[in-house]
Amino acid sequence: MTCEHVQKRLTAYLDGELDGDRGSVVRGHLRACATCRQIASDEAALRDGLRQLPPVDPPASLWAGVQARLAEAEVADAKRPAWRRALARWAPLAPRYALGGLVAAAAVTAIWWRTHRDADPEQATATPSQVLAADTTPAVPATALAVDISADLAAESDRITATYAETAAELLALASERRHEWAPDEQQAFDAQVAALRSAIDDASAERPRHRAWRSLIRYLQNAVVRDQIALAGGAP
Amino acid sequence: MSDLADSAPALPAPTLAEPRPRVAAALADDAQLIAACRRGEARAMEMLYHQYKRRVFGMAHRIVGASDAEEVAQEVFVRIFRALANFRGDSALSTWIYRLTVNAALSHLSKRGRRNEVGDDGLGDLPAPPVAERDPGLAARIEAALARLPAGYRAILVLHDVEGLSHEECAAILDCRVGTCKSQLHKARARMRELLGPDLESHGKDPA
Repeated sequence: MTCEHVQKRLTAYLDGELDGDRGSVVRGHLRACATCRQIASDEAALRDGLRQLPPVDPPASLWAGVQARLAEAEVADAKRPAWRRALARWAPLAPRYALGGLVAAAAVTAIWWRTHRDADPEQATATPSQVLAADTTPAVPATALAVDISADLAAESDRITATYAETAAELLALASERRHEWAPDEQQAFDAQVAALRSAIDDASAERPRHRAWRSLIRYLQNAVVRDQIALAGGAP
Repeated sequence: MSDLADSAPALPAPTLAEPRPRVAAALADDAQLIAACRRGEARAMEMLYHQYKRRVFGMAHRIVGASDAEEVAQEVFVRIFRALANFRGDSALSTWIYRLTVNAALSHLSKRGRRNEVGDDGLGDLPAPPVAERDPGLAARIEAALARLPAGYRAILVLHDVEGLSHEECAAILDCRVGTCKSQLHKARARMRELLGPDLESHGKDPA
């Protein structure tokens, strides 16, 4: 083993990471090579010196500074509009939705592909030799794939629905705080619109339209709370 | 053969990394502390601060230097308390705090425009800190040499050799592979040896 090889392994050797033969080879070289031995001694001294460096005590003012900056940040929070705080709580969940969307897209593609392949009209009229050739591919039951993924999809869908419901509830609470600033006809329009959007959620027959209806409600509430734009008509789900 | 045995030179002994004694709270304690901090309990927040202040300030001090260490440490603790609500417990609390500290320190250096410290280039142009000449003690020489290292090397040396963390923990904190961590440590120690000069063992010992 050359000096270069040994010097490359010195850090691992000194940290006790070379066992058995690998450690023995390095030790053997160090016994015979004064240059590498000196380098090893220096590195060991350096490593020990680093380990023994005294801890650095923070100044007494550090905690007071942290508390002051936390207080500043809380004051800044209080000045931020309520809709931005609500959105900030909601935003971290966005990647989950993206992941859920990807899983859903993959599942739909896989199911469609298998269904489409099974129902391929060319296969119905294929010659026996073509059928035999096709049968050599290992068949995965389409239902097994669908069942596995549908459980995940259902759970993800429930999570998304729960988040929508939570966000809508927060926005409704905010709306009720600002309600007294609105004119009576605006209050009526708001109530009617919320009721319509809620019934659209209840009436939705499938997951996608239901989620779309939730998003419509949230968008309407955001507009109402943030910009006081209470649509007297329209804003339909 | 017997000649060799008689005159066998003393070899530097390999030793397993021994972590510096730390106030490592048990996971259950961490969970309780985190929950109390999330509720905004002042006493819990102060406890967490005292538990990690030396590690956070020490890391910041050695990566960004004495003049900016307090500012960086303040920022780290503010981030800790503000982001604790989003801490999912995927890693140990200490690992998460080390990661916040290293990131804040490196980001601070980057903002300060000291990009020349991150690469390998330009080291020869840096003037030697005067403290190394005034104080021949090994600890002072090491601190001075650390200050002249590229920031990435400083981070791995402080995490592994000063704080006593394992390669796996360092890799998790620096968001790199364990192999990368080991090779960076090897290069960092080699650069430290260059900066400290030859015959470190016999000439650089602390009087104590």
